[in-house]
Amino acid sequence: MARLELNVSLNRVEGDLEIAVALEDGVVAEARTIGTMYRGFEQIMIGRAPRDSLVITPRVCGICGTAHLYSAVLALENAWRLSPPPNATRIRNLCLMAEGLQNDLRQTFLFFSPDFCTSRYAGEPWFDEMTAMFEPFRGAIYLETLAMTRRLVEIVAHFGGQWPHSSYMAPGGVTLPADLRRISACRAVLQEAQRWYEQRIVGAPLDRWLALDRAEDYLAWLDEPLHAASALGALTRCARALGLHRAAAGTGHMLSYGSWRDPLESSPGAGASLLRSGFYDGDAGSVAQLDQELINEHVRHSWFRHYDGGRHPWRGETVPNYQPGGDRYSWAKAPRYGDKAVQTGPLAELLIGGDALIASLHAMEGGGAWLRQFARVRRIAYEFFYAQRMLDELAAEPHGEHFTPPAGSSEADGDGFGLVMAARGALGHWIAIRNGVIERYQIITPTAWNASPRDSAGLPGHWEQSLVGVTVKDPDDPIEIGHIIRSHDPCLVCTVHMLDTGGKVHFGA
Amino acid sequence: MRGTQVKTLFWLQTGACGGDSLAILSAEAPSFEQLLLSYGIELLWHPSLSHAPAKRFDALIEDIASGSQKLDILCVEGSIITAPRGTGLFDSYKGRARMDIARSLAERAEFVVAMGTCASFGGVHAASPNPGDCTGMQFNRANPGGLLPAGWRSRSGAPVINIAGCPAHPHAMTQTLAALAEDMPIALDPLNRPSAFFSMLVHQGCTRSEYHEYDIEDAQLGGHACLFFNLGCQGPLTQAVCNDDLWNGVSSKTRAGVPCFGCTAPNFPREADLFTTAKIGDVPLRLPMGVERARYMAYKNLARAAAPQRVKDKEMDV
Ligand code: SF4
Repeated sequence: MARLELNVSLNRVEGDLEIAVALEDGVVAEARTIGTMYRGFEQIMIGRAPRDSLVITPRVCGICGTAHLYSAVLALENAWRLSPPPNATRIRNLCLMAEGLQNDLRQTFLFFSPDFCTSRYAGEPWFDEMTAMFEPFRGAIYLETLAMTRRLVEIVAHFGGQWPHSSYMAPGGVTLPADLRRISACRAVLQEAQRWYEQRIVGAPLDRWLALDRAEDYLAWLDEPLHAASALGALTRCARALGLHRAAAGTGHMLSYGSWRDPLESSPGAGASLLRSGFYDGDAGSVAQLDQELINEHVRHSWFRHYDGGRHPWRGETVPNYQPGGDRYSWAKAPRYGDKAVQTGPLAELLIGGDALIASLHAMEGGGAWLRQFARVRRIAYEFFYAQRMLDELAAEPHGEHFTPPAGSSEADGDGFGLVMAARGALGHWIAIRNGVIERYQIITPTAWNASPRDSAGLPGHWEQSLVGVTVKDPDDPIEIGHIIRSHDPCLVCTVHMLDTGGKVHFGA
Repeated sequence: MRGTQVKTLFWLQTGACGGDSLAILSAEAPSFEQLLLSYGIELLWHPSLSHAPAKRFDALIEDIASGSQKLDILCVEGSIITAPRGTGLFDSYKGRARMDIARSLAERAEFVVAMGTCASFGGVHAASPNPGDCTGMQFNRANPGGLLPAGWRSRSGAPVINIAGCPAHPHAMTQTLAALAEDMPIALDPLNRPSAFFSMLVHQGCTRSEYHEYDIEDAQLGGHACLFFNLGCQGPLTQAVCNDDLWNGVSSKTRAGVPCFGCTAPNFPREADLFTTAKIGDVPLRLPMGVERARYMAYKNLARAAAPQRVKDKEMDV
């Protein structure tokens, strides 16, 4: 048996990622995902005014700053027992949906699809079609995606002043109300983008596409001329021809914090969501109610000072201990739900949230790289649907409150958490405020779940599991690993962790 | 096009969030893709956009270092992480510190452009206690000298060009690149920022400025009035085009009621409660750029007395 150790670096993901894989006769026998970058975000938060989290934490990630802002504001509202007025929640949701649309389109058509246009596939029957659509800076869909995503983030700019990196959500609401001008402008953008999605991406009107609810019907749909000629139709045929629907299921357990808050059912920092939250138990095949107390993080295989088992983020500790060469191999911690390694992202979100088509496809052939990517394109339909609904509700009540000023000494001490579904999955912020300043801040990003290293029990994280069994044809160009990892929409800048400075860092021997 | 030759561009991310890469995709005049399609810029590498496998990255950094591949424009996005103990290994690529890659590419480039406040000055990652020992390419916060010494010059003779901003304004990025593509001279300010984008104040063009004139101030977020006296707005002290060349073509932070946090300045984010204005007595500690304290107070008192009712009642939308 030929064993080959391979170190793969991946571009076209946000941030830097290295993966160490062991190939046995060309098949991945073992994988380790390595977070190679460390900025110490949570450390910067310590001692600052609580509201500074609204400025600092969106800068964790350039592609999902709105989601970080939303988590940060929910954590503060949870700590300070504040509930925003309904219109504030509508505006927050709308902006998060716009950011999600931007992400889902860019991730699919700028990051994932170009892999099918590389020379390796020049002989494949679908190569010319994929290249015509997705070749960087040449393909038709690629260029249209650049133009359309540029429009979509205007929605965030209308309410937040700019995208990326603004701080327009504040404890108590948002800084700007909806008005006739903003509502009309956002509606125009959404309508234009939705028409493009219907015509070019799925080849069907939104309601018909959302009504499709059975796997067989979708597979039959692939032959319908409009869908067949669409970007998703082409992508699906090609990905399935490569077997990506049978590859890389990873862990069967999934996590969703619930998509978008219900404007009418909010409690401080939380409340109901428009698509429900939960934990999908892959063994039982059922969804259990979410319990954030079950979340913990392990550091056994990360470059941090050891503690036993896992710790909830409120009790978390992150003292770096950089020792390359041993059995610790990543700056990412290992988050677990109870003792389970989970995956998160649009597949988890829609399966738990109750999308019938995703549930049917998942039941028929399990999860895999194609279904994960397919779920991301499917989620776009929900983002359009609910964004329009948010605008309708704002239009019906344009003079409703957008901000409830927190009473007097609002910045009291306390603990809070904020959980949202970011574009890439479950994002949580945990804050502890003491003496009026931040004493602790912990962030668990979606990529931290997916890119988790092994935990105290030696259990590999989701990517590490999903790579096992994958055949790599050319170790010099391990494109199969690219397909699989990119189907998760990885964001390595997100594997943030707190860092102490100077003397406590051990480097080398 | 004045520039006659194809110019090669290499985009390197160091300790970054990707925000400048995402922001540049929002540029329209010119757009990022226009730079490639009609300004004669050849994109050798961009970490989020290139579709060649990562080994092409390895080959490129070798070929540029050896001189067999010419490099006209190096864009660096992100802070330079130098921890632990000056090794830079908290941000490594295949075991090599990224700061070393940045340095070796810079030595070969005709022009080096720092995209965003991180690469310019250290940015948010360099905020106290600066856990990654972060610095900028040629400035460490406001002090000359970062990864590269203050006197360093790229092959063209220019220092690192700092397109500050968190993220940098989309057009500050693409219009500077367009100027480089066309061989236009670029005047720099004392912080090595292109003066064209850093001589205006954010305050200029803010739709709240009439409230500012008459000293009608909000004490809470969510209102119509000016954010200077109570809510920490740095607009009158911050040089950037945000309120002239609107973000995403539609707005700016101050228009949306978000205080300007001064993200184009070397001290961003400042060591203070970012939503509060520090004051001496009733008067902000830091007054609008160039203003004399005594005169300012006299003028403000007069202005407040003269304020028209519509301004006092905050009737005007912003
Ligand atoms: S909000 Fe800021 S930028 Fe706008 S007028 Fe007031 S001080 Fe100037």
